[in-house]
Amino acid sequence: MRARRPDALVPETPRIMVLRCPGLCDLAAPGPQAAELFEQVIAAVTGFCPQVEAVEPGVCAFGARGPARYFGGETALAGRVIAAVAELGLEARAGVADGLFAALLAARGAGRDPVLVIPPGRTAGFLARRPVSVLEDQDLAGLLTRLGLRTLGDLAALPAGDVAGRFGPAGETAHRLAGGRGSPPLVAAPPAEDLSVAREFDPPEPLAEPVVFAAKALAEQMHDGLAARGLTCVSVQIQATWADGRESRRLWRHDGLLSAAALAGRVRWQLDGWRVPADGTDTSDGGIAVLRLVPDQVILATGHQLALWGEAMVSDRVARAAMRVQAMLGHEAVLRPVPGGGRDFAERVTLVPFGEKTEPRLAAGPPWPGRVMGPAPGVVYPFAREADVTDEAGAAVTVTGRSVVSAAPAWLAIDRERPRRVTGWAGPWPLSERWWDPVAARRRARFQLLTDDGRAWLAAVQDGRWLIEAGYW
Amino acid sequence: MGSSPAETRRISSARPRPSAAGREPETFREPETFREPETFRTAGPSGTSGISAITRASGTAGTGMLPVLPALRGLLPRGGLARGSVVTVAEFGVLALALLAAASAAGAWCGIAGIPEAGVLAAVGLGLDAERTLLVPDPGDAWPQVVASLIDGCELVLLRPPGRAPAQVRQRLEATLRRGRGVLLVAGDWPGAQVRLRVVTQGWTGLGDGHGRLRACAAEVVADGRGEAATTRTRWLWRPGEDGSVTVADPAGIPVADRPLADIPAAETVRRLRVVNAG
Repeated sequence: MRARRPDALVPETPRIMVLRCPGLCDLAAPGPQAAELFEQVIAAVTGFCPQVEAVEPGVCAFGARGPARYFGGETALAGRVIAAVAELGLEARAGVADGLFAALLAARGAGRDPVLVIPPGRTAGFLARRPVSVLEDQDLAGLLTRLGLRTLGDLAALPAGDVAGRFGPAGETAHRLAGGRGSPPLVAAPPAEDLSVAREFDPPEPLAEPVVFAAKALAEQMHDGLAARGLTCVSVQIQATWADGRESRRLWRHDGLLSAAALAGRVRWQLDGWRVPADGTDTSDGGIAVLRLVPDQVILATGHQLALWGEAMVSDRVARAAMRVQAMLGHEAVLRPVPGGGRDFAERVTLVPFGEKTEPRLAAGPPWPGRVMGPAPGVVYPFAREADVTDEAGAAVTVTGRSVVSAAPAWLAIDRERPRRVTGWAGPWPLSERWWDPVAARRRARFQLLTDDGRAWLAAVQDGRWLIEAGYW
Repeated sequence: MGSSPAETRRISSARPRPSAAGREPETFREPETFREPETFRTAGPSGTSGISAITRASGTAGTGMLPVLPALRGLLPRGGLARGSVVTVAEFGVLALALLAAASAAGAWCGIAGIPEAGVLAAVGLGLDAERTLLVPDPGDAWPQVVASLIDGCELVLLRPPGRAPAQVRQRLEATLRRGRGVLLVAGDWPGAQVRLRVVTQGWTGLGDGHGRLRACAAEVVADGRGEAATTRTRWLWRPGEDGSVTVADPAGIPVADRPLADIPAAETVRRLRVVNAG
């Protein structure tokens, strides 16, 4: 019945083996001796699989598919690894499952039999019976329990959009994990060897063109080095040392694979950015002495990469423009707005640095009661502005817990600007957000104010203070 | 509904694409016109080769215009934003965002620089495509270089300069603009702008004393400028209207509280039209 279906093209969930040495991880504060022992454990495991990652003290993980094939099955492999560690005088437990999260739980759950293998495809069922307390986020776990969601199965059964809307990114991650999906790929960090590549220019190269040309060859060299180890990187640091000793470095992050040509392009913009001094004058820097590319976020190459831009529609021309600005001002300086969900006008737009995946922070799907109705304001302050709202007698206008306003607003003074006469107002519209989260919870009463200069404002009272969130003009 | 030949061509994708020479002006709906091979070596430091390719492909050399919302056509000479020109809006607001909307909806990329408080949702409501929008909220002292880069990549750049731009900086950007055939919208002052827009009067409907909510804003917009824009034009707009759109308002039909119309409750009238920008 295992016929090849079209969806067989979807990459398989990695089989991960987790090895847990209870003697090393139950220590409250692992001392240097434990760390040294753990190094020996990792060295021993490396004999079975070259890519071993330390997860936490006493726990390491590796991809089990290849070695298991070689050593005659996952159980046999686990037995050999445990035997190898036993030679160091250490007891170990092993768990194998689809994905790191389930494998960690399996290793923790291995009882009298030191090996617990969750067969392929059974991970979701295995996870469903675990209590939510196994989640790393204990605050979230406590909250889920209070809401009656006691097992990962309960959580996984909820629609993903609802969970994301209610509990934010942490909930989304927990939901993914509970469903046996989306374990992050194992990060080979820190890389055991220096994977960076460098090129020296002697004499220093004053022109950008030859440096960019060399960068392309360097990038290819770096990619080849990574590929030979089954790795790829999602961000690269470009370091340039000038003849006068100055060094400039910039981290370039990307969802997709940074191709050699794309990297060379980034080197060009980075050099361009540095060559333009802020005051517009020319400086003689003596040229580039060393160019170095350092792969920063190294991940296992899973064989599928996102499109270079996350989506195909960004043309090279726009990308060039955006990245030149990023080279001048930094990665976070060029943003793409992504409309999403939320109650505030500010939080309804997620700003994503150019080149990263465009995804709203809050899903647009669920209804967001408490949204302000009517036209959207043209001016939305990224940080609400402090204001004083006073009544005719000059007393501050207050709002009680039951949404009763002390007096009609008569004057609005924003920051230290001249007070404006209030000619119309409406509110308060109470809004209680994230009541389940004591840190993020906030209670606000919202108002719309009209002032004598023809402007309209969206204001909020929070903790007794007036804040101007937006302006309608 | 009475599709023009240009539209027919766009829809029937099965047919071979018309040659570049045969294109109508303003066919920048076609994403293909934006694409160019990833050749870093041919692009000079100013990166303008892409733009000239687009200008050629879309056949807009000389007479190119970027479209604006129908309600704004009457304010602009020839009913659009002339490529290579500078248009100013006295103050950043819905009017500036509205000027971006139609071109963005038609496929142009828009850059917004120096305006961290740009209300993206309002702009999206007017037609701005967020997917084709770049924001550089804080370009800092390097803003002339930032804007020059954005002009290379985007058809339309909305800028609020941090202060009065020196003549030399302005001239350099205007030259970049003419080469790239884009449009620079400035929120603020820009001596030498082809068209200048400002809101002189505005008033809101829907808000009373402790009741109602903001519904629509009637605004009187005045446009003047140089050359063919020298004639002063005045238009009343709903900016925005009840549905968030920008439409032409009939001044006689604007319910003003000072002259109450019989059937309209007080909260529905515009409360006190105010002169906001007499300059």
